[in-house]
This record gives sequence, C-alpha cells and structure tokens, in this order.
Amino acid sequence: MTQPIVKMVNVTKRIGKRTIIDKLSLDLPLGEVFGFLGPNGSGKTTTIRMMVGLMSLSEGEIYISGHSITKDYEKAIRYVGAIVENPEMYKYLSGYDNLIHYARMIPGITEHRVNEVVKLVGLEGRIYDKVKTYSLGMRQRLGVAQAILHKPQLLILDEPTNGLDPAGIRELRDYLRLLSKEEGIAVFVSSHLLSEMELMCDRVAIIQNGKLIDVRTIRGSFEAGTVSSRVLIEVDSPQGAAQALQAAGYSAALEGGQLIAVETDREGTASVNAALVAAGIKVYGIRTHVKSLEDQFLEVTGGERIG
Amino acid sequence: MGDFLQLVRNENMKIYRRPRTWVMMSILLGLVLVISILWLSFGDRNSTSMWEVVFIEASVLFLLVTIFTVVIAAGVVAEEFTTGTIKLLLIRPWSRSKILLSKYIAVMMFAILLAVELFVSTIAVNWLAFGIHADPEAALSFPVPTGGTPVSYLLQYYALTLVSLVVTVTLAFMLSTIFRSGGLAIGLSLFLLLGVNSFVALIAMLDYQWIDYLLFIHLNLTQYLDGNPMREGMTLGYSLGVLAVYYILFIAVTWYVFNKRDVAA
Ligand SMILES: Nc1ncnc2c1ncn2[C@@H]1O[C@H](COP(=O)(O)OP(=O)(O)OP(=O)(O)O)[C@@H](O)[C@H]1O
Ligand SMILES: [Mg+2]
Repeated sequence: MTQPIVKMVNVTKRIGKRTIIDKLSLDLPLGEVFGFLGPNGSGKTTTIRMMVGLMSLSEGEIYISGHSITKDYEKAIRYVGAIVENPEMYKYLSGYDNLIHYARMIPGITEHRVNEVVKLVGLEGRIYDKVKTYSLGMRQRLGVAQAILHKPQLLILDEPTNGLDPAGIRELRDYLRLLSKEEGIAVFVSSHLLSEMELMCDRVAIIQNGKLIDVRTIRGSFEAGTVSSRVLIEVDSPQGAAQALQAAGYSAALEGGQLIAVETDREGTASVNAALVAAGIKVYGIRTHVKSLEDQFLEVTGGERIG
Repeated sequence: MGDFLQLVRNENMKIYRRPRTWVMMSILLGLVLVISILWLSFGDRNSTSMWEVVFIEASVLFLLVTIFTVVIAAGVVAEEFTTGTIKLLLIRPWSRSKILLSKYIAVMMFAILLAVELFVSTIAVNWLAFGIHADPEAALSFPVPTGGTPVSYLLQYYALTLVSLVVTVTLAFMLSTIFRSGGLAIGLSLFLLLGVNSFVALIAMLDYQWIDYLLFIHLNLTQYLDGNPMREGMTLGYSLGVLAVYYILFIAVTWYVFNKRDVAA
C-alpha cells in the first residue's frame, strides 16, 4: 500500500477539563472515500478542525502527505480542500468573486479553472449573483467549488449533503466517487446520516464520545472477499442441507421455509455451494445479505445517539 | 510561495465592494462641501483666506477620518469570525500572521485614502470657493511659524495627526482581534478616543508621574505645533516614544492572539 495521505497519531483535544477527542489514530489512503460517522457531539467537527489547523492539538500529531499540520502548516494545508461545518462565504460578494478570492490565495489557479469548477458544481446560472441571494443548497455547491478549486489530494467535507436536494446528493456522491477513483484523491466525509455513508463510502470510521470505536469496510468488501457476511441459500431440503454443511465444517441455521443461512465470505460461498451439490441437495438460489451500516452503527454505539 | 500582494488585493476587495465604505467616503466629501458652502453663504468671501477654512475643516473632519477607519479596522477581523468566513480564509497555504498582515495593510491603506481625500477635497473646494479671488493679505487666525507657508503647516498637521490615527486604529484592530466582535471593538475604541479625550485636559493637570505614560495624553500630537504642550516639559520626541511603545505592544498582542487562538464555532 502507498503512504497514507493523512496520518493521525494519538490525536487528543482537551478543552478545559473535558477530553473532546481521545487518542484518535487513523490513516487515510489515497483513492478512497472515507466516512466519518458519529452521533451529534461525538467530535467529528472537532477532529476536522484539527486536521485543517483551525484548532490546536492538545496531544498527538497529524501528518498530511508527510507534513506535520502543527509544525509545517503551509506545506501540509496545500494538499487539502475542505468545508468545515457550513460553507460560509462573503455574502456581499458574488459567487464568482468568492471563488476568485480563494483562487488568488493559491498560485496557479487560472480563470479557466474557476469556470470549469463552476460548471462542475452546476452554478453557471447564478454565479454572478451575490451569495446572499443563494439558497442553502447553492451555498453548499459553492462550498464544494472552493474546496476543489486547487485540485487537492485530500478533500475534507463536513456534512456536505446538508441542504442538498436528492438530485444534488446523488450528483455529489457520484462526483466524490469519481474523484477518488479517477483522480485517486482521498475524500474524508463526515455525517450522521448512515444510509448516505453506505452509498458513498469505501470505509467508515465510527466515533463516539471522542473515541474511535471501529473502522468498517463498506463497499465491495464482500466482493473483495475480505469480510464474511450472511449467505441465504434456498434448497429443496433445509434439514439435509444443514447436515451436509455441518459435515463440511460450516454451521448453518434454519431460516424457515426453504431457507438456510450460513456466515461466510465470498470464497466460502462457492465451497458451500459445492458441498451442497456434492451431497445431492438441490440449490435454487443464493443470496448474500451484507449487514447495513445502520445495523452495524447501532450495534457498536448501542443505539445511543447523543454522547 | 504565493504572491502576498494578492492577499492585500483580496482584503481591499472585501472593503471596497461594500456600500458602507462608499457611504463613508461620500459623507466626508459631503461635509467638506457643506462647511464651505455655509461659510460662503454667511461669511465674508473677500476677507477670508482659503487656508482658514481648510484648517477648520481638516481639524474637524480628521476626527471623522479616524472614526471611519476605526469602523473598518474593527470589522476587518471580527466580521470574519462572526460570519464564519474565517474558516475558509485560514485553510489556505498562508500563515495566520501573513493573513493578518494583509488585513492590517488594507486598513492602513484605507486610512491614507481617507486622509488624502480630505486633504485634496478641502484644498480644491476651498480654492474654488475662496482662493481664486481672495485678498492675498487676508489674515489667518492661527499662527503659521515664521518662514513656513500654510501648506507646509498643513502637511505637518496631517503628518502628526496620521501618527495618532495609526495608533488609534491599531488599538481598534487589536480589540477586534481579541473580542472577535466588531461592535465591541468600535464601541471601546471610540469610547477611549472621544470619552477619554474630553477628560484628557483635566487628567493632564494632575501632578502624578504615571500620567506621563498614559496613551491619551500623547494622542493629540498637534499640541506641539503651536508650542504649548499639555503637560510641563513634554516634548514631541517623548510623546512619539511613548506612542511607539504602545504601538509595539498593540501589534504584539494582536499577532499573538490571532496566531494562538482556536477557531471554533
Ligand atoms: N469550543 C468548544 N468548547 C467546549 N466544548 C466544545 C467546543 N466545541 C465543541 N465542543 C464539544 O465537543 C464535542 C464534539 O463536538 P463536535 O462539534 O466536534 O461534534 P460533531 O461530531 O461535529 O457533532 P454534530 O454531528 O452535531 O455536528 C461536543 O460535546 C461539544 O459540546
Ligand atoms: Mg459537526
């Protein structure tokens, strides 16, 4: 694996006596959409603020492309485009002037690039209007535009779908996946909308009360054969099938009707099928049931929402 | 390394794209016109020297230049915080110090612009109103030092007042950075400027040593132009020294606070 674009080592944030982020360590590779999931107040925004240097770290270190965010800020932040909470822009300027404002702060951004980004986020029609006349979704789009203006290696978006309509969410999702797969950049998205993360992320880190509880693989993980999941098999004789699988070293559960269930991975599914056929059982159908992120999330956070 | 001038350009864009900036500049010009026109209507045109009116307007309206610049200085940092735009401003490959410096420079450019506007408009308007037909012997009610001309006196006056303006505006800039609230920074700076200034003559009479170190005793540098300082034995050099110490202190605190603080909320 290549060097991670982000390396967080024991990141800790204390405000007063409260520990808001507690020894968080996480590596983000290039080419992945990485979700950051947690209930309200769990510390997502605080973590992001530290990643972009808006907040100091009480302990630990964050490296972006090998540069320390605390010691070598100007180099580290060059690789980052971000929205932190709401994308607040200068309301008395037009959307275009806002983008020009940020473009001037980074060498090498041409007017052509600005126009390209405007098209990309679908704001051509309103870009010369003052930002104060924009709707929430339009501001969100402008926020995405300023974040990708300089083609960052790492795109950090704090609840980016907030305020977007379904079409906008879908566009953003597709665009983020495109960015990560085609351009190979890392995308770090926070959200508490589980269903949404499931659709757009490759992996998800779950945070609760400032602690990292778990990192789960979402997309293509079963296909990649890295995780096991529940496989439902429809057979003519569930009883016989269960016995045959027992003999082959799999534990199968009767699911009622013609169904049995086995916990296994991709390769295992093929062997299970072979074992059943060898035992003379007729297999009518095989279905893999990947646990939804929502199930997993509620499972690990114990259903508790506010930390 | 990017181009620092682009940052100043950005700050200027944020100042001059707002209507309030143009309102301030119009008010300044409007008041110069109003005072001159009133003087024309009620005064005696032929026996008035244009310099008389220029000086009256400069001394009254320079206060307005200071107030307007304080308003801009108070907003330039605080508004980025109250509107939340500070987050997207800071996450660029620039140190916080340089971003703050670009703001400070833009504020100082605005101060100079207003001072130039006042200087040019008072001279132009009053030359048209009084200067063209004036009796060259028209008396002045203020003492131009022997050998000096009204213009050189006026330039000295502007130079000294600009020094005080820089210190006052730097104070407002510091308060804006510390409190992150434009209203509070404007209120406090103007209170200190106007409120304390009206007591300053009283305080100056007190016979304590520490009063020599008070900022406000030294903000009115034009006292040295007429040669009668507020306190016994004070010199222009001494006042400039005290102001320099305050100035360095204000700058140090401003940059320290801006660099150190977490940007939350
Ligand atoms: N400036 C601050 N001072 C003190 N506590 C703070 C500060 N900012 C955040 N917190 C606390 O830190 C915790 C994490 O806040 P944070 O904003 O990071 O949560 P979040 O995961 O982004 O939540 P949400 O989903 O609501 O956006 C909260 O308990 C919050 O009260
Ligand atoms: Mg948040």
